[in-house]
Amino acid sequence: MPILLGTLLALVSVVVIVYPFLGSKKYRLVSESFVTREKLRAERLRIYRKISDVEADFTSGDLTEADYQHQRDQLRIAAAEILKQESGESMPNAKRDEELEKQISRLREQSAASTEAPEGGDTL
Amino acid sequence: MADLGVMALLLGLALSAYSAIGAIIGEKIGMAALVVSARRALYMTTVTAIVASGALINAFVQNDFSIAYVADHSNTLMDRAFVWVAFYAGNEGSLLYILLALSVISAISVWFAPKRLARSMPWTIAILAIIQLFYFGVLAFVASPFELLATVPLEGRGINPLLTPPGMFSHPPLLMGGLIGVTIPFAFVSGALIAGNYGDDWIDVARVSAIITWGVLGTGMLLGAWWAYTILGWGGYWAWDPIENVALMPWLVMTAFIHSIMVQKRRGMFRMWNVALLNIAFVLAQLGMFINRGGPVVSVHSFAASTLGTIFLLFMMVSLVFAFALFLWRMPQLKSDRAMESFVSREASFLINNFLFLAVMGVTLWGVLFPVFSDLARDVSVSVSAPYFDRVNGPVLLGIVVMMGIGPLLPWRKTSARSMKQWFVWPIIVGLITIGILVALGIQRPVAIFSFGVLAFVATAIGEEWWRGTAARHRSGDNWALAWWRLVNGNRPRHGGYIVHISILMLALGIIGTNFYQQRTNGSLALGESLVIDSYRIEYVDTFDSSRPDRIAQWAEMTVYQIDPDDYKQEISFAKAQGSSGFTLKDSTLRPNDELIDTIEPWHGFYIDFNMASVRSGIRSTVVEDLYVIPRDFLADGRVSLAVSINPLAWWLWVSGPFFIIGTMVALWPQAAVERRPARKRLKGESEGEL
Repeated sequence: MPILLGTLLALVSVVVIVYPFLGSKKYRLVSESFVTREKLRAERLRIYRKISDVEADFTSGDLTEADYQHQRDQLRIAAAEILKQESGESMPNAKRDEELEKQISRLREQSAASTEAPEGGDTL
Repeated sequence: MADLGVMALLLGLALSAYSAIGAIIGEKIGMAALVVSARRALYMTTVTAIVASGALINAFVQNDFSIAYVADHSNTLMDRAFVWVAFYAGNEGSLLYILLALSVISAISVWFAPKRLARSMPWTIAILAIIQLFYFGVLAFVASPFELLATVPLEGRGINPLLTPPGMFSHPPLLMGGLIGVTIPFAFVSGALIAGNYGDDWIDVARVSAIITWGVLGTGMLLGAWWAYTILGWGGYWAWDPIENVALMPWLVMTAFIHSIMVQKRRGMFRMWNVALLNIAFVLAQLGMFINRGGPVVSVHSFAASTLGTIFLLFMMVSLVFAFALFLWRMPQLKSDRAMESFVSREASFLINNFLFLAVMGVTLWGVLFPVFSDLARDVSVSVSAPYFDRVNGPVLLGIVVMMGIGPLLPWRKTSARSMKQWFVWPIIVGLITIGILVALGIQRPVAIFSFGVLAFVATAIGEEWWRGTAARHRSGDNWALAWWRLVNGNRPRHGGYIVHISILMLALGIIGTNFYQQRTNGSLALGESLVIDSYRIEYVDTFDSSRPDRIAQWAEMTVYQIDPDDYKQEISFAKAQGSSGFTLKDSTLRPNDELIDTIEPWHGFYIDFNMASVRSGIRSTVVEDLYVIPRDFLADGRVSLAVSINPLAWWLWVSGPFFIIGTMVALWPQAAVERRPARKRLKGESEGEL
């Protein structure tokens, strides 16, 4: 019985690893453009989170108004730049700004209270 | 079942070799199907590890003593609940457990890896598969748990009695799982570096897997300390034993990493530093495996009879060379986005805290390896004991606690004098008041008093952060509880971190109390006699046997009285003159203010098959202090030999555990998505196959 189970396990393993070569599904390595899109999206989300953190820092007094304005503007420009790269030239500027505002507002709503309180970043 | 186990191990060996080679070749020649196949082979190694583990567990359940490992670690008297413990009680089984843990977490992390890491995944898969290959190879050819005996014994040797307390169901698995878990962030970061992915794409995967590993390892160490304190019966909880140290060192480096990764995430700095930290943690984890598997350092925890030392040493050396060759190769591309603007900023405080963690790690590493160097250089065997570690690491650890209070109060980039004053004034005042109160109360030991002041400073800093945030929400209409909850929920990594910091404060409270203010005394009592220490009188009232076929055990029943020291003035003065913290009373008459507060039943056992004594201490634990009674021996004349101690604030050591776990979980809990992902159908269309 153990030998039978072991043989069955070996057969299942062979089927599982051979299947990608024989199945109807054709695999392709992900394209550079797909990886780039995913990276841009991740970077944009990171920037949104940073904008939220900067707003919280300012509210808590961790940042001066000048620093806050400077950092927030830089981050918004960076986010807009990424949105531009993501959408190509197809999205008009006004639409892009609207999308950016929408995403930042959504983040702000999610941590609604946190923007009013002392926040300095993460410890972990 | 041995045949099935052996077949599963050999199959796992073949699959992991295929997975490593397939992933690399598939990536190099651009053959996606081969990479997919390699990834599936990695998943299948998990299945084979599960099957091999299942075969061994089943052998324990069936009392299959034809397998040497089963005969060595169980018998028919063993409660079936201990099958799980017996599984990893010995060298071979624990290696199988490590492989099981590694394969499961490898499969989970590869399955959930983000798509943006697709280009580096073949390399990550290859690294994970190579490490699994090593363990499969060791288990299949060098330390097989399925080795058969020429003559099948009728009865097994039984399980090591030290492994039968409930804590053993979780302490070793967590510790071993935590050590091997360091592989996951290491494999992801190394994979990204090989693939030329120098950006921050790996941050989230590395951070999450590092925090999980760190939490598991930390919980495992804390459970080990609790086991030592409550079960081993030597009166302490941390002995700076080499095996304790080799678990502590990667944990310290991972602690540094999970702080500095936040700087990379927020400010795009410390990229190179973070990669180096992960490399160090991984190599230290391998060092732990080496020392535990027959390395040159003797420990009560290690598998001393193991001959695997050389194999694990070689694997550690290969890991070291690989990790740092890769690091040096990619170093020019790992530069920070920006330079540090001020040394009074949060990022600077994280850097200082990192240096302090590495300092403790370095001191501990030197203490672990010094006996080896001494042996090699001078042919003289020396051992480095607790006083070295306490004296050198103690001040640095206090420095880490100080930074725990300062860091979160500092803003990113730079700090103005105004904000320094705004944030630091209350913590400093409370710290100073605490020191003043302790001095006024006549508490001795300046270092301990200063340390308590530091703890008060840090606790106030955290409290101040929470107070301001909660008050702001309360002003907007939330009740206090909801306001605090929303504050924590708004930034879970940060506030989860604060909860962990609170647990560290509790731990520090217990460490300071037990190290600076512990009182000890020894004595032997006949029935009816008492031992007095501090404000306790312990009377030996009864004794009984509870022997079983595998052990001879004797219990002592003892009543504990709270006393008024004034009633014992004369005896206490006499004992103090003798330099003792306690004394024995032959007279059983109680004094006017003696008050019965508890009954404890410590016991002393001897396990015949293992030629091993085991002790369960009698512990009366309160928030203020523990009364800790160790029955050293039951003497032939009917007396019981005792070691008794008062361990101030020891209770806080164990309360810190739940806070540590809760804080870690809060920090890990995912934040709500900022943006919804496109519908699955559309994503599938975009993803161009399975990779």
